[in-house]
Amino acid sequence: MFLRIVSKSLSKRRSRVAITMVAVLMGAAMASGLLTVSSGMQDKLGKEFRKFGSNILVVPKSDRIEVGFPGISFGSVTEQRYIDEGDLLKIKKIDQWSANVLGFAPFLYQVVRVEYNGKSQDVVLTGTYFDRAYPDLVTNGQVWRTGIRKIAPYWNVEGSWIEDNSDNQSAVAGISVAEKLNLRLGDYIALSYQNPENKNVSSERLKVVGTLSTGGSEDSQIFVTLPNAQKISGRLGKVHSVQVSALCVECPAELIGAEIEKKMPYTQAKTVKQLVRAETLIMDQLGQMMLLITVVALAASGIGVMTTTMTTVMERRKEIGLMKSIGAENLKIASIFLTESIIIGFGGGVLGYFLGNILAQYIAESVFHAPISLVLYILPVTVGVSLAVTVLASLLPVRRATRIEPAIVLRGE
Amino acid sequence: MTKSAILLESVIKYYDLYTRALNSVSLAISEGDWVSIIGPSGSGKTTLLNIMSGLDTPSSGTIRVNETDITGLGQNMLTRFRRENIGLIFQQYHLIPYLTALENVMVAQYFQGTVNKEVARAALENVGLGHRLEHRPSQLSGGEQQRVCVARALINEPNIILADEPTGNLDLKNGEIVMEIIRKLVNEGHTLVIVTHNMDIAKQGRRIIEMVDGRVSADSTPIPTASVSTLKEHRSQ
Repeated sequence: MFLRIVSKSLSKRRSRVAITMVAVLMGAAMASGLLTVSSGMQDKLGKEFRKFGSNILVVPKSDRIEVGFPGISFGSVTEQRYIDEGDLLKIKKIDQWSANVLGFAPFLYQVVRVEYNGKSQDVVLTGTYFDRAYPDLVTNGQVWRTGIRKIAPYWNVEGSWIEDNSDNQSAVAGISVAEKLNLRLGDYIALSYQNPENKNVSSERLKVVGTLSTGGSEDSQIFVTLPNAQKISGRLGKVHSVQVSALCVECPAELIGAEIEKKMPYTQAKTVKQLVRAETLIMDQLGQMMLLITVVALAASGIGVMTTTMTTVMERRKEIGLMKSIGAENLKIASIFLTESIIIGFGGGVLGYFLGNILAQYIAESVFHAPISLVLYILPVTVGVSLAVTVLASLLPVRRATRIEPAIVLRGE
Repeated sequence: MTKSAILLESVIKYYDLYTRALNSVSLAISEGDWVSIIGPSGSGKTTLLNIMSGLDTPSSGTIRVNETDITGLGQNMLTRFRRENIGLIFQQYHLIPYLTALENVMVAQYFQGTVNKEVARAALENVGLGHRLEHRPSQLSGGEQQRVCVARALINEPNIILADEPTGNLDLKNGEIVMEIIRKLVNEGHTLVIVTHNMDIAKQGRRIIEMVDGRVSADSTPIPTASVSTLKEHRSQ
């Protein structure tokens, strides 16, 4: 009988129920949408941050060569030590946080003499991996690839990258170098380097296949494949440093660095703390902002529910008075109204979850340019929050309902 | 000696500082009696009925119903007492609009604690509505709605029936159908207090109480051929 009273009462007042449900739905949609975005955001933001470059730098111990990121220096060379190129894959094969290592790029630097069209200039020649495949390492069913293109996708290259790691005929010139030497795509430059130890001079003729613009020190360098740089500088199998891009939303970069150092004891892994701190700060602030928006949306939703429920109570005063006159105690009256609220809250919560997902998809497409996956655990959370808001918002109107005096109502006052 | 079903002692009811609806009303209504309450509008008839049923509380005085002092009972206790002892019949029927006739009767059972569809169906059949069980109030005539109200009032087997103008909104034919049911209740031993403007109905009772300005101005046994004028004459003698 109880459910019959509740269901018939709800179906009789469809428009009022719809208004209340819309109020719940709006709050629930905001909560669900923002929770979904927030959940997906951490992952996506982490990757977005990775687009700005690596966040761990691996260098040989005691090696004080001038290396670092744009604007961030880690010291200068006093003792020439190198990382063995053969050890690089150990970075990906660390024990605990391997999945979080998105990629790495080794760097070998050498100042060389560049000549073109009668002009000559000393330039830093940098050897690296542009896009290196490790056929023996398969992740997610695909051969694992790493290199500059993976860890620094923001590098803007006009022309083309050097696709083949064994290519020793091509170079990518930093935009500053290209401008100083009036280099154009397809031009050939002559490189020469005299080994200070044996005085041997090596010369190379390279085709400029691309020009690079990063806004940093890379603009003043010429990039070639690592094997080519090793050959020119006479440092086969050696690299100066390795930049590692690690996804560090749920793990501290320091722990990944420590694992790398454990695998390669002759190196030290330095985290780019400024970047990591900024990343954490932005995520915290975004999280707080989303929480605030959600709370405001739920509060607005609660006020909406309270107002419509109060109106409903006033409209049903006679019915409440009648129920009391024929024997309904306050608890029964309250349970009828609260059950109606719970049903509305549940319906609004479920619908709000799906609407929230549409909202989250829209935000994800606009901000991250990628779809966001449906997070199922948010469904019970959204429904729970909706129920809590609806029941809380109904308490005052229900209290008002229980205080209605049957005599006054039945007299028509 | 017959026991009092309802006993009022010096009952006063103020609605506000200036409105005294009942002015020291004392009366005793015996078990199985039929008491008609008459009087002009605003004389305190409905207030008296509401106080007897516990729908309203007095400002002072004592009310005993079925030998229970209900004066000091809280709202929930009053509600519980009412549903076990008193059946209410309203002039405006007061049915729940979204429930069928059968459900309107069952809802009173539900509040009492035991729902029995067959008993509810039988109650409606007793008032001649066996064919209108699944109709909602808006699909019933005024007379039919009032009969649903009567069935609902009786479903929990109270021994006291309080009726406020039960035929006030009905035509002659439907009014007579309802009164026939009410007469039957009294014959079965129910105590009936009926508020009415209709002297033909009032005189059917064993006792007529006339209210004027919140006081009992007359308390008499009706003369068989009574009418308003003859009653007045009777009082003046």
